[in-house]
Amino acid sequence: MVGVKIGLEIHVQLTEAGSKLFCGCRSNYRGLPPNTNVCPVCLGLPGALPVPQPGPVEAAIAASMALGCRLPWAIVFTRKHYFYPDLPKNYQITEYEGAHGAPVCLGAVFHYLDPGSWEWRSVRIRRINLEEDPGRSQYGDGGIMASPVVMVDYNRSGVPLLEVVTEPDLRGPRDARSMVEYLLLTLEYIGATNPRLEGAFRVDANVSVGGGERVEIKNIGSTLEVERALRYEILRQTKIIEAGGKVERETRHWDSTRGVTRPLRHKEAEEEYLYFPDPDLPPLPITGKLKERARSRITLLPGEVYKTITGHGVGREVAWSITQHPPLARLYLTASEHVADKKTLARLLGVDLKGALKDLGRTPSEPETLPPPETVITLVKLVEEGELPYDAVRGLVLPKLAQNPKTPIESLIPEKAKVTDSLIEAVLMEERKALCDLLRGKKKALNYLVGAVIRRVGKAAVDPRAIRGMIEKKAREIERLCLEAESS
Amino acid sequence: MPFESAWRLKEEMISGDLDPVEHAAHVLERIRRWEGSVHAYLSLRREDEILGDTGRAVERLRSGKARPLEGLLVAVKDNIMTLDLPTTAASKMLKGFKPGYEATVVERLRAAGAIITGKTNMDEFAMGSTTELSAYGPTRNPVDLERVPGGSSGGSAAVLAYGGADLALGSDTGGSIRLPASFTGTVGLKPTYGAVSRYGLIPYANSLEQIGPMGRSVRDVALLFSVIAGWDPRDATTLRRTGWVDPENLAPLDPHSLRICTPEELLEGTDASVAKRFDSLLGELEESGAVVEEVRIPVLREALPAYYTIAMAEAASNLARYDGSLYPCRPSTRPRSWEELVERTRTECFGSEVKRRILMGVYVLSEGYRDQFYLAATRIRRLIRNAMMAATRRCIVASPTGPVPAPRLGERIGDPLKLYALDVQTVTANLAGIPSLSQPMGRVMGLPVGVQWMGPSMGEETLLRLGLLVEEVLGYGRG
Repeated sequence: MVGVKIGLEIHVQLTEAGSKLFCGCRSNYRGLPPNTNVCPVCLGLPGALPVPQPGPVEAAIAASMALGCRLPWAIVFTRKHYFYPDLPKNYQITEYEGAHGAPVCLGAVFHYLDPGSWEWRSVRIRRINLEEDPGRSQYGDGGIMASPVVMVDYNRSGVPLLEVVTEPDLRGPRDARSMVEYLLLTLEYIGATNPRLEGAFRVDANVSVGGGERVEIKNIGSTLEVERALRYEILRQTKIIEAGGKVERETRHWDSTRGVTRPLRHKEAEEEYLYFPDPDLPPLPITGKLKERARSRITLLPGEVYKTITGHGVGREVAWSITQHPPLARLYLTASEHVADKKTLARLLGVDLKGALKDLGRTPSEPETLPPPETVITLVKLVEEGELPYDAVRGLVLPKLAQNPKTPIESLIPEKAKVTDSLIEAVLMEERKALCDLLRGKKKALNYLVGAVIRRVGKAAVDPRAIRGMIEKKAREIERLCLEAESS
Repeated sequence: MPFESAWRLKEEMISGDLDPVEHAAHVLERIRRWEGSVHAYLSLRREDEILGDTGRAVERLRSGKARPLEGLLVAVKDNIMTLDLPTTAASKMLKGFKPGYEATVVERLRAAGAIITGKTNMDEFAMGSTTELSAYGPTRNPVDLERVPGGSSGGSAAVLAYGGADLALGSDTGGSIRLPASFTGTVGLKPTYGAVSRYGLIPYANSLEQIGPMGRSVRDVALLFSVIAGWDPRDATTLRRTGWVDPENLAPLDPHSLRICTPEELLEGTDASVAKRFDSLLGELEESGAVVEEVRIPVLREALPAYYTIAMAEAASNLARYDGSLYPCRPSTRPRSWEELVERTRTECFGSEVKRRILMGVYVLSEGYRDQFYLAATRIRRLIRNAMMAATRRCIVASPTGPVPAPRLGERIGDPLKLYALDVQTVTANLAGIPSLSQPMGRVMGLPVGVQWMGPSMGEETLLRLGLLVEEVLGYGRG
């Protein structure tokens, strides 16, 4: 794979922007019956006018800022014309550099972490357009060219979309995947998107090998597929070159079921989009106020989180494991201010709680799956103070917490309260014979006493070693009981 | 004027001298009498509904709760969305179209107590200057049935001329309110761009057009304008300004404070008879104390081509949506694919002038031609805007509204260039985004002709006050 060059075009829906780009319909249409999340504006009916909505505009500017972009002076919308069944106006309101237009990002160098090598890398972002998503169409036999019916659902029509276009700086499939994952994570951190929603993002990739022609691969729907599609395509191109052939410049479609890229059946005609600025949408100046509102959305970024956690002496894998889930990262940062043992905290959240959630098919990316910080702080403190063995937390507490993150801390660790000094004393008083055996040096007696204590508290979260220690200590304190018994 | 102004009607209704129901019955009777020959309405509300609404207005008038347009009958151009009546823009493409939302201006009319009579004929998608290009047949000029009423708001103007409504809404993309006003002897205002919401106006050329008031007197136009003007959150191009005009307290302009400029470029190509009538009006105003000054604004010679280039570009874009999926018109035979559906729908359901403008619009926006045509036109537009802003800072810019009195049917539509030339004086205000008022200035060969005044951006009040002065000077329209 010498001389592989990859550039990406990533379309990300601003699912969390609240509204569609130009009307009040919802930005997240999942689960709604077809054509129920629509109004005259997003149906593109004549006379209905687009009005930029604050949520999507602020989210787009925040995204541009978070990715380190140069901002234009204003949000300028351009019409891009093409006839397509799911495009109700037969033009898309987007952004365009030229014909008096400007994209929301005029260029950036974006830094991302590659968790394969633990290196920070960078990719140049050429531009980002803020635009409206079309509806969704479904065809019968023969597809778009021959099907007698087209069914269109306009619930998606008008949902705000960011089109992120990179320069061909990426060097391999794994690199491309890391970049997309980090980009999506950044947008998730600023509350712009939820990349786990079905159809929340799509990727097109341009790839060339050994300075040959570039091939565009369309319709890649997940980050794993980005890697797979690129691996396949690079192999395909390499084989052509090795056989002495030449790669043709073309557009191919990623078929994820078969794991191959395929040429698009019909050649796209010469692109003619008739760009011109949308006369219904005067340029929206990016004022200081607007910037401020956008900036207030950027409370945390994945880079800061990762660096903070590794700065606490936590290993890279665990730090990254936490960083990947914004709610988990926020929980870590809040809790870490109150506990000394950050490594235990990180392990608890990034390894074992995450694992317990995964066992239940849940993800710590959803805030409602996570316990309140107080619960976590208490658990770590109990471990720190030796009151509770970590194994007990992992084996007994976390599975319960994963089931119900709101479980009160008391009912999570009832055993802790029972293994007290007085309990040990009570057991020793009752088991006077064993106590005296122990004091006489009989090892078996100690095991018996430990068993007696455990029987008292149920075999819950107890650390036999700790009980052993407590018994030995208490036994010496009340040594005289045996001496008295012997002397009498 | 053969019929009373809406303002006079309003006063008589408030004083109790006029029974709104009786008045409505008169209007309905005129509609029955004239519609067969004029064909100004494309759809009408049922008479019993109109009379019912009028009855409710009586109660409000009696109880002193009359709203600004209480009991007045208003006709609405058929490119403005109404809930109850179809909105077709006079196109076969939208035959019977009722999408279930209403234009902001119509909501404001209803809230002001207006009673909507029906929807008026127009050139298809407002593309035309004579109302001959309606898919549902032309409208004739009530002043002379052999002649056109002007366009594209010809139906609204004709209705006012024969007394088939008290007030009317039109839309003006390049003169579509003012030219019909001129040809029918009525008054029309093209407002400052952004004064009136376009929400619910079927778009032709968004950056140029405005909905505007039409009436039989200047005060009528002021009254209707005061109701429809104002910021609308649903139209991002509306201006955040309130208190545009107060029709109640609008006094004629003092001629001594009036300065009029007449750019010679706007008189070129004008019929001698029209120019003569225009000169004599200016003479009368001068006599009353106004200063009249001939000026030159050479860039105005480029206005017509720049206007048509921009209008056609925007039209091509706006009309792309009519592809046979969401709109009523379908091809006569079942298409075999989606592409065929689009092609056949657009071939069969658009009129030829609409198709001409779409094709030319696509051409001027295409890669390789965009710089030469569309972008060049936007540069000329900027120059015109700057020149007109500067001119209207120091004077009211005046010209005849149209180069000729109303042509006969068929006289202009055969040759697109002759048709487009009717707009030579009016397009300037649309390119510059400034307000322009057209009002009658007398008759030529027995036909009414209008004068148009152009003022500074948001200068509607000045124009309307000037209009009142002119009515006084010419001795009509009082009331």
